[in-house]
Parts: sequence; structure tokens; C-alpha cells
Amino acid sequence: MLSIIAKLLKVLNSENEPSQISLAIGFSMIAGLTPFYSLHNILILLLVLVLRVNLSAFILGLAFFSGVAYLLDPIFHWIGLHLLTAGLLKGLWEVLYNSTIWRLERFNNSIVMGSLLFSLLFVVPLCILMNLAILKYREHVLAWIQKSRLVHFIKASKFYETYKSLSKLKGES
Amino acid sequence: MMKWIRWRGIVAFIGVLIILSGFWFFFIDGFIGRMIEKTGTRIIGARVDLDHADFSIFPAGLILTRLQVTDPDEPMKNAFEVARAAFSIDTVNLFRRKVIIDEMTLDGLEFDTPRKTSGALPSKVAVAPSVSKKVPIKEFKLPLFEVPDVQEILKREELQSLKLVESLRADIKKEKDNWQTRLQDLPDKKKVDKYKSRIDKVKSARKGDIEDILGALGEVKTIKKDLERDIRHIKGVQKEFEVSFTLLEKRLDQAVQAPKEDAYLLKEKYSLSPQGLGNISQIFFGPKVGQWVERTLVWYKRLKPVLERAKERKKDSEVVKPIRARGVDVRFKEHEPMPDFLIRQAKTSLQLSSGNLSGKIKNITPDQDVLGAPLSFAFSGDSLKGVQSVKISGTLDHVVPSSSKDTISLYAKGYQINDAVLSDSDKLPITLKKGLLNLDALIVISGEGFRAKGKARLKSAQLLVEVQDEANLLAASMRSALSEISGFTLHINVHGRPDKYDIHLTSDLDDVLKGAVSRLVQDQALQLERELNSAILEKVGEPLSELKVSLTELETIDGEITARLNQLNRLLGDISAKSILGDKKLLF
Repeated sequence: MLSIIAKLLKVLNSENEPSQISLAIGFSMIAGLTPFYSLHNILILLLVLVLRVNLSAFILGLAFFSGVAYLLDPIFHWIGLHLLTAGLLKGLWEVLYNSTIWRLERFNNSIVMGSLLFSLLFVVPLCILMNLAILKYREHVLAWIQKSRLVHFIKASKFYETYKSLSKLKGES
Repeated sequence: MMKWIRWRGIVAFIGVLIILSGFWFFFIDGFIGRMIEKTGTRIIGARVDLDHADFSIFPAGLILTRLQVTDPDEPMKNAFEVARAAFSIDTVNLFRRKVIIDEMTLDGLEFDTPRKTSGALPSKVAVAPSVSKKVPIKEFKLPLFEVPDVQEILKREELQSLKLVESLRADIKKEKDNWQTRLQDLPDKKKVDKYKSRIDKVKSARKGDIEDILGALGEVKTIKKDLERDIRHIKGVQKEFEVSFTLLEKRLDQAVQAPKEDAYLLKEKYSLSPQGLGNISQIFFGPKVGQWVERTLVWYKRLKPVLERAKERKKDSEVVKPIRARGVDVRFKEHEPMPDFLIRQAKTSLQLSSGNLSGKIKNITPDQDVLGAPLSFAFSGDSLKGVQSVKISGTLDHVVPSSSKDTISLYAKGYQINDAVLSDSDKLPITLKKGLLNLDALIVISGEGFRAKGKARLKSAQLLVEVQDEANLLAASMRSALSEISGFTLHINVHGRPDKYDIHLTSDLDDVLKGAVSRLVQDQALQLERELNSAILEKVGEPLSELKVSLTELETIDGEITARLNQLNRLLGDISAKSILGDKKLLF
């Protein structure tokens, strides 16, 4: 548990660009909210590994959004079913349905469709908001936190040792 | 831009893919095996065990080794067991999430094999219905061979004749009260006297006085009108009485006849009638046929999801509930429609204790409506041990789910039967020691309806009848008749719904038995009827006599009505103008 919190702080306080962290969170939202064993998640994995996004942020975000997905599944089902049964889109769905790659993607499943659409709609706003939030954090909260008694207390704790060792590892590599 | 690319990431991605592929390669067989066991267990309601599954992609195929399916009603036995099942799968369709098995080969399919461990599920697991949980099979019992005690019968049974007498007694009393009241409303002696005084007054009109005479004539007219109205009223009432009385008389006749009818019905119920003997086939073979029908229907119900699955239409798209998945899959029009699961052809060889049956099953799919073709099967075997030849074929047509029709036909020739117990009655135990059976049957299940028709011809039969009580003439007669039988034909007719059906069996055995014991049975029945008749009359005789008296008393009311009518008629006859005025003459 300590290690996870240390990682989170490490991510937030690292020298990584805020955009790299927020993009990782964005990718993690897509992979976390949609069913894990979906074709598009292979593409997400490729992007996460090839683009210089923050991997720790991605893994933490993936764990968080996977949990949230359980709560939102009924909404995803509702969105997906309405879209898939909308008369106007019938032609499009029929074309996709007859394509092997889209069948592998399981676009015709209500939850896959609902969650994918939901995460694609919110990925850009989330990235922008996360970017702003990290900037604000570093500008205002980070200095205040480092001066606080709590941090002094933490620095003297085992938790901080873990955090430091992680930083050293990172420096060595 | 290049600062955003992590080249090592490509290597990591390939590494991840290799790890995943390796994981899949090593664990997919176990995963498929567990899936088959879990899904099969849920459908059957008892354990389905698989020794090994081997899945390959190029060429796509699956080999299952030793698949055991437990019989839910006998968990220490397998309903069937397959030594090896090999499937060749259409790879292209597999990528489209469609499992299309071009050919399936089942080797070493055996039925009723013993299990080392019980295949029963823990009680908390929801299971498919088993035979024992179904509606109990109708019990058929041999008729009694002794004349039952009449007093015992009368204690048990409610007599219709007594019921009739009681209700008639109440109704006669009600009618009596009613007519007594009605009589009070009819013109009585008082009214007759009143008429007489009015007539007398008219008669005393002054002679020669024109005004008096004219007045008298008017009064005569009025009296006549009043009398006619009263007569009409009494006639109407009398008619009503006659209708009501006739009805009661008819009911009394019925009550008089009722003891005879009671005796007849009780005789029919408690005695072995020649008609009752007509059902001897039902008694001998009914339980066995009932068990077969129940078993067939339970398996049909279990396998029905293989023929049809839950679908609903939503705005022109078909929504299919997948067995294992979250959400729902929406199906759209395909350029080349294919079901999600299809076994185009399954070749199998059934290893029975009597030998091998080989055959083919075509088009196994839960989406027949998409495929547009029904499931069909045909199995046959010749020169088997204990049976000369067997043919089983059929079509399970669910192409249009709302009007599904499943047809199964069975033909067996030269099936040897040994030591089959036909009746385990203490009075008349019957065993079919040996016989050769030819069977031809057709089962049709269409929608909610269900019917089966069959003809079984038994040849070279040897029936063993052991009568315990030699003094029982009826049992002795049946034994002698049955011992001479060397063959018979049984006609099986089952119809109804799968949850409620009737089994009707007839055979020439019925006629043989009927002929042998008919006289004896008739005498016994007549004796019982006579005894019942006199016992019932003893009970009902006195109340019946009371009823007759009551009805006679009621008839006196008719006499009273007639008397009053006669009195008024007489007065009407007296009241003509001439009779009142006589030879009075007008003075002008």
C-alpha cells in the first residue's frame, strides 16, 4: 500500500511532462472502462508503450478506471444498446458487422459500444483537465506540501524510504 | 515530435504479445476444457467431466478426450460417455466470433457407463429438472379380483339418490308454503258471497221503470267483467301450479330411479367389468411407456437450448443474450448469414451393450432461423446382440421458432425380450419370459403440443402367470387365457402437452382376456349391482315414501283452485241479462 502511494507521489512529482501523465491517464481510461479483452486495447497498449507517456500513471489509472467500470456498466449498456438499435445508424452497423476486424472488436456488444463511445468522448476533456490540474499542483500545492509538518514526518518514515529508493532506482536506470 | 516516440516500447510491445501468446498456448486447452465442463454441467444439471482438450489453430480444430456426462437421476452412472471427439473448425469464421464446425467425429460413444465418483451437484447449485422432480407418472393397478363389501362401499361413497331426495323434500315444502300464500290471494267464499249479493241486488230492480232497468243492465255488464277477470286470474294461477307440480312429479320419478343409477355407477367403479378388462394393456405396459415418455421429454427439455436460444427483436435488430458475457450482443443483417455456433455434420458411432449404432447428425445450432435448415439425424445398426436391426431418424425443425416441429421415428426389428415383469400384483403376477418385438414409433412435438404413435408387435411370446389363490376363478381364467398367448400387437398413443399428456394403449391382448373372463365378470358385476340396489333402497326407501305423501298433499291445492274456479264459472253462467231481468218489458 505504501509502495503504491509512493509511486503515485513519484509520478506526480517526477520531472515528467504533465502532458505525458495526462495522456497516460487518458489511455488508461479507455483501457479501464472498456472490457479488458477487446481488440482496441491492443492498440492502446501499443500506443502506451511506443509513445513516451508515463507508464506508472497508466497502470494506476487502469486500476482506478477498471473499478469505476463496474459501477458504470449499466449506463454503458444503456448507451450501447440505444446506439446499436438506432434506426439512423443501422446502415453503418451493418457494414461494420460484415467486416471481420470489427467483429473481432465486438462493437455489436452493448457494453463494448457504450463504454468505448463514452471513453472516446471524455478522453480529450480529461487530458486537458488533468494537464491543468498537474500544473496547478506543482505550482501551488507541491511547495506547500514539502514545507508541511506532515511531509517532515513522512520523510522520517519507512514510506519515504521506499519513495527514495524508487527515485534512486529511477536515477540509476 | 521524435521526443514523443519510445523506440524501446516497440520491443516491449512485441515482448508483451509473445508473453500473451505463450500464456494462451499453454493454458488455452485447460481453459476450453473447463468451459466445456462448466457449461455442460449447467445445462445437464449434473457433472460433466473432460479428461483433456487439445485446441489447435492451424488447422483449426479441437480434440476432446473422454467426455463423461452424468445421468442426473443416477449420479453414479454416466448418461453417456465419449472416448474421443474431434472437431474441425472453420478458421475464417472463428475470427468473426463464429464457431462453425465443419465436421465432428465422435468415437466410442457409450450409454449408461458406471462412474468412479458421484456426478451429483451440491444442492446449492441450480440444476436442470430431473425425471424424479417431474409430475408423477400415472399409476395403473390391476382390477380387484373379489366382490367388495357393499356396506363398506356405501360408507365410502356419497349416494346421489339421497342427495336428490333431500333436495326434493326441501323444494316440495317450499312449494307448499308458496301455494298456500297464493291461495289466500285468490277469490274465496267471501268474494263469491259478494258477487251473489250484487246479483241479487240487480234482480230486485223495479219492473217497468226504465231507469232501474238500464241501471241493472249496466251492473250486469260490470259483474260479468269482474267475474271474467277473476276467472282468468285463477286459470293463470292454476296453469302455473300445474307446471310447477309436473316438474316436482318428474323429479320424484328421477329420485325413484336414482337408487338404480347409484347401484349401476358403484358397480362400474368397484367391479371388474368387461370394459375394465379392455384396459389390460394400459395396466401392463402403461407404467413402462409412461417412464419412457417422461425420460424423453426431460432430455428434450434439457437439449432444447441447443435447438433454440433466447432472442428478442428491438427496432428491426435482433438482440441475442449470450450465455456468458456482460451486456447483450446485437445482431445485424449479414451478407452471408451464419449462426454463431454450428456443427455442420457430426459422425458418430454409439456403442451399446448390444453392438454398434452408427449415424450422422446434421446442422446442430441454436440459430436454425439464421441457417435456414433444421437439425436432422439418422442412426442405424444391423445384426446387433439381442436385436436384428434398429433405425432412429428425425428432424428437429426450429427454423421458424414460433412454429417449431420435431419429428423422431424409431424402428426396431427382432428385439429380444427376456424376463420382463408385466404385472407385480400379488393376485396375478405376470412375467414375459421371452418374446421377439418389432417396434415402429413416431414422436411429434410441435409448439406446445406433443403426440407419439407406435405399434409394437410381439412374436414367439411366452407368458408366465403365477396365480396365488387357485380358488379365485377370475385370476385362474386370466392365467389360462394368457398362457395360450404367443403373440400380440400393442398400439401406443400419447397426446397432450409435455407437462400434461394422456397415454392410451390398446392391444389384441385386451380382446383375448375380455373373451376369456367376460361371463365370469358379468355375473360378478350383476351380483354386486343387485346387492348394491337393495342396500341403497333400504337407505332411501322411507324418505322416498314420505316424498310421495308430501306431493299428494300438494296436489290438494289444485283441487281447491278448481273448486273456486267452478264457483265463479257457475256465477258467470247465472248472470245473463235474461236470467236476471226475466220477461220484464220496457213500457215505451
